[in-house]
Amino acid sequence: MKHTVFGAALAAVLAMPAFAADYTIMAPAAPGGGWDSTARAMADTMVAEGISASVQVQNVPGAGGTVGLAQFSSTAAGDASQLIVGGYVMVGAILTNASPVSLADVTPIARLTGEAVGIAVAASSPIQNISELVEMMKADPGSVSWGGGSAGGVDHITVGLLAKAAGVDPTKINYVAFAGGGEALAAILGNQVTVGISGVGEFLPQVEAGSMRMLAVSTAEKWAGTDAPTLMESGFDVNVQNWRMVAAAPGLSDEQKAAVAADVDKLVTSAGWQAVLADKGWANTYMAGADFDAQLAKEVEATSAVLKDIGLVQ
Amino acid sequence: MNKERRPNGAAFAIALGLAALGALLIWQGLAIPDKGGYAGIGSGAAPKAIGGGLIVLALCHVWTGLRSSSLPHPHQNWAAIGWIVTGLLLQLFLLKPLGFTIASALLFACTARAMGYKKLQIALPVGLVLAFVVYGVFDGLLKLNLPAGFVENLIYRG
Amino acid sequence: MEAFGFLLQGLATAMDPMLLLYALLGVTLGTMVGVLPGIGPALTVALLLPVTYGLDPAGSLIMFAGIYYGGMYGGSTTSILLNTPGESASIVTAIEGNKMALAGRGGPALATAAIGSFVAGLLATLALAFIAPSVVKLALIFGPREYFALMMLAFVTVSAAFGDSAMKGLTSLFIGLALALVGIDGLTGQTRLAFGMPQLLDGIEVTTLAVAMFAVGEALFVAARIEGADVKVHAIKGAVRMTATDWSRSWKAWLRGTAIGFPIGAMPAGGADIASFLSYGAEKRLTKYPAEFGHGAIEGVAGPEAANNAAAAGTLVPLLTLGLPTTATAAIMLAGFQQFGLQPGPLLFVTAPTLVWGLIASLLIANVMLLVLNLPLIRIWIKLLMIPRHWLYAGILLFATLGTIGVNPSPVELVQLTIFGLMGYGMRLLNYPIAPVVVGLILGPMAEQQLRRALSIAQGDWTTLVATPLSAGLLAVAALALIVPMLMRARGRGAVLSQVAADED
Repeated sequence: MKHTVFGAALAAVLAMPAFAADYTIMAPAAPGGGWDSTARAMADTMVAEGISASVQVQNVPGAGGTVGLAQFSSTAAGDASQLIVGGYVMVGAILTNASPVSLADVTPIARLTGEAVGIAVAASSPIQNISELVEMMKADPGSVSWGGGSAGGVDHITVGLLAKAAGVDPTKINYVAFAGGGEALAAILGNQVTVGISGVGEFLPQVEAGSMRMLAVSTAEKWAGTDAPTLMESGFDVNVQNWRMVAAAPGLSDEQKAAVAADVDKLVTSAGWQAVLADKGWANTYMAGADFDAQLAKEVEATSAVLKDIGLVQ
Repeated sequence: MNKERRPNGAAFAIALGLAALGALLIWQGLAIPDKGGYAGIGSGAAPKAIGGGLIVLALCHVWTGLRSSSLPHPHQNWAAIGWIVTGLLLQLFLLKPLGFTIASALLFACTARAMGYKKLQIALPVGLVLAFVVYGVFDGLLKLNLPAGFVENLIYRG
Repeated sequence: MEAFGFLLQGLATAMDPMLLLYALLGVTLGTMVGVLPGIGPALTVALLLPVTYGLDPAGSLIMFAGIYYGGMYGGSTTSILLNTPGESASIVTAIEGNKMALAGRGGPALATAAIGSFVAGLLATLALAFIAPSVVKLALIFGPREYFALMMLAFVTVSAAFGDSAMKGLTSLFIGLALALVGIDGLTGQTRLAFGMPQLLDGIEVTTLAVAMFAVGEALFVAARIEGADVKVHAIKGAVRMTATDWSRSWKAWLRGTAIGFPIGAMPAGGADIASFLSYGAEKRLTKYPAEFGHGAIEGVAGPEAANNAAAAGTLVPLLTLGLPTTATAAIMLAGFQQFGLQPGPLLFVTAPTLVWGLIASLLIANVMLLVLNLPLIRIWIKLLMIPRHWLYAGILLFATLGTIGVNPSPVELVQLTIFGLMGYGMRLLNYPIAPVVVGLILGPMAEQQLRRALSIAQGDWTTLVATPLSAGLLAVAALALIVPMLMRARGRGAVLSQVAADED
């Protein structure tokens, strides 16, 4: 037994390529989650497409990514070979955790993927459309219990934005946080909560099976796979996307930043990345450069305003 | 910590620890701003309730401590405990500077010593080889990110 | 009969060569840790959890379940040959099994344990397959208040209903509940008890706590005991098979053990060790050979070994259908599901039917593998008992720290490993049970959140907790399970309960 284990290990050692990493991508989350799988997919594709000779992934879990972000901004400063994966959840977590480090302490490069937030009810629910739901909220906000993901996350923020857009006091929303979309789903299907809010992907299988009804989606355009109206179409000025992005280290020169952005652009436009997106069911919402910087600034501002309105941030 | 000479010491020491933990929880529970919303109870409620439970348990320990003499405990080999804790601390402090292999080999040797195996000159090399192979398998094949030191860099990264 | 169709599909899934390999790996590892005294399935799954995130989810979960089943098989070998239980659910097997080995009947004892485990594992896994879909249908009427009531019941049965002292069990539970408070509160996002350390914002990792208490705590406990010579392994004389009399005395005990074990495991009632004690008690009462009990009665091996395997399968019912772990191993398996982004519960059967039925079907296959591993190949495992203690524990600690370092090489985690290890040692020394700490850590936040969700939905009305017959009934049972044993102990009838002490698995 022992000899074969040693033999296998030795073979593995000899088979390993021996050169230094070109890029190190930090996933500020434990192995297995969304950011981790994004980082690992990026690493594999960058190597496969010849963008980089070798890419290492490093996990620094904790507190919605803010632990990793703080470590990254202090240790990677000025190093163009270091990247970090992040997302919209981080924007909220920075605010709710009163993190000393923010996205201003890194160099955001591009938005990679994203998903709409969906609002849905059980098929047996009397609520037929989004305006009926909003009317109920206006009449008695406490009677509408919203089942969704963690407090201060994208689902909660969307409810706050919707309340605000509909003229309901955002501090009065009855938001019931669940550990994740899956756990919320059972409560929605069992009619334990009035309405559910989560990533569209969590609801689509149930909607297709006829056990749930999608009332609206949060993005500016309709989402593939459902004909539910957008909140904008329904007359509420809400546009939210739960995105994932990649950022580089702080303190880079313009040339360094341009070089990283070029590598990321090469990655996103590669056939390998398209295959990854299709395989994982991720929607390509690639946005880079000045467009992304402006969009990010706008979202940070809107998010901090709504978190204050909900009362999660002082 | 010598339980043979003070029969009820253990129960009272535990009671003290539980009461301290309970008080800490109640203090922290009271310090959190209440955002209970529609539930009526916020995030301070559970620390207060669990803290209260711990204080009740502390009182139970005092009560049983007064009523019974505790069982005599077999003699404990404190040196062995010291060896294992030393091994864990060595690994903790040397992990970053020296890498996984050396730090873990020291833990391995210290644990073997704690279990009564005194031949350090054998335990250390065995630990080095085992930790080195483990590093190769888990860092290389399973892509776990283990801290590398000069041994790992020298051999695996050439 | 829909379960039958799903099970056939699951068997087709499970025949995938890679999944078969994972199952084989799981049962082999499980038998190994079952045989080795001091490490059990809970620890093994906790150790493997961090290193499997990159692997296939179905494969990893099949491996974990294989470890759980394998641990139940392997534990009996050590109990019989060494008079030291390999894991806690086999404590009772040592009573009659070791006597049989002393009398030169080690072969039949090992055989009835292995075949009994097989029969029970097979029947209980089939029961799991047929009961789970009905529980799933029932589960949709489970809202936050019903979950809260169910968790209260689980807390009581894990900590206070069995064992020699409700106080000690509850103390362990409350330590777990206190640790569970550390970090960000899921419902408001507020930070509790992190004392400004960002590494504590996500709370105490279940795997770190489990590895620290089971591996480090156990190593400290063993090292601190001064023992003379190593324990002696009894050689097996003759073949590992049974005579016709052995068969006729065993088969009823196997079936009774299964009938006792499966419901005990399926209800939140404390897991495999309790089932094995109850089965031993039943066999002792029903036997035609009362004189043999205490001197090597084969029923006393056959019944408990069947019961602990059936209970292990039973534990999977609440875990898979309600997402409710009732033992330390199940709690860590739940963390395993969550690692792969899967939430056990009624919807798992809808969202991931291939995985669930593949898992259940794999258990049937794993059971056959285990029979082969534990009958014809039994002598290989006995060799494991010869590994010197110092190499064994040095290796265990190396792997224990590896898991923690691999996930998060932060000094904060490693310090926790040492502190909780010392705590685990102290608790072992003073006879405080370990399992309630782990169960409290994982179920504590769930119970708190379900309570606050229930109150939020009812807009602050506490009567909502008893507003349905189901939630009121569960709370009533929980209250009885807390009070009745206390009265029994107060009236001097506690001996029965202290025998049925729940330990680590």
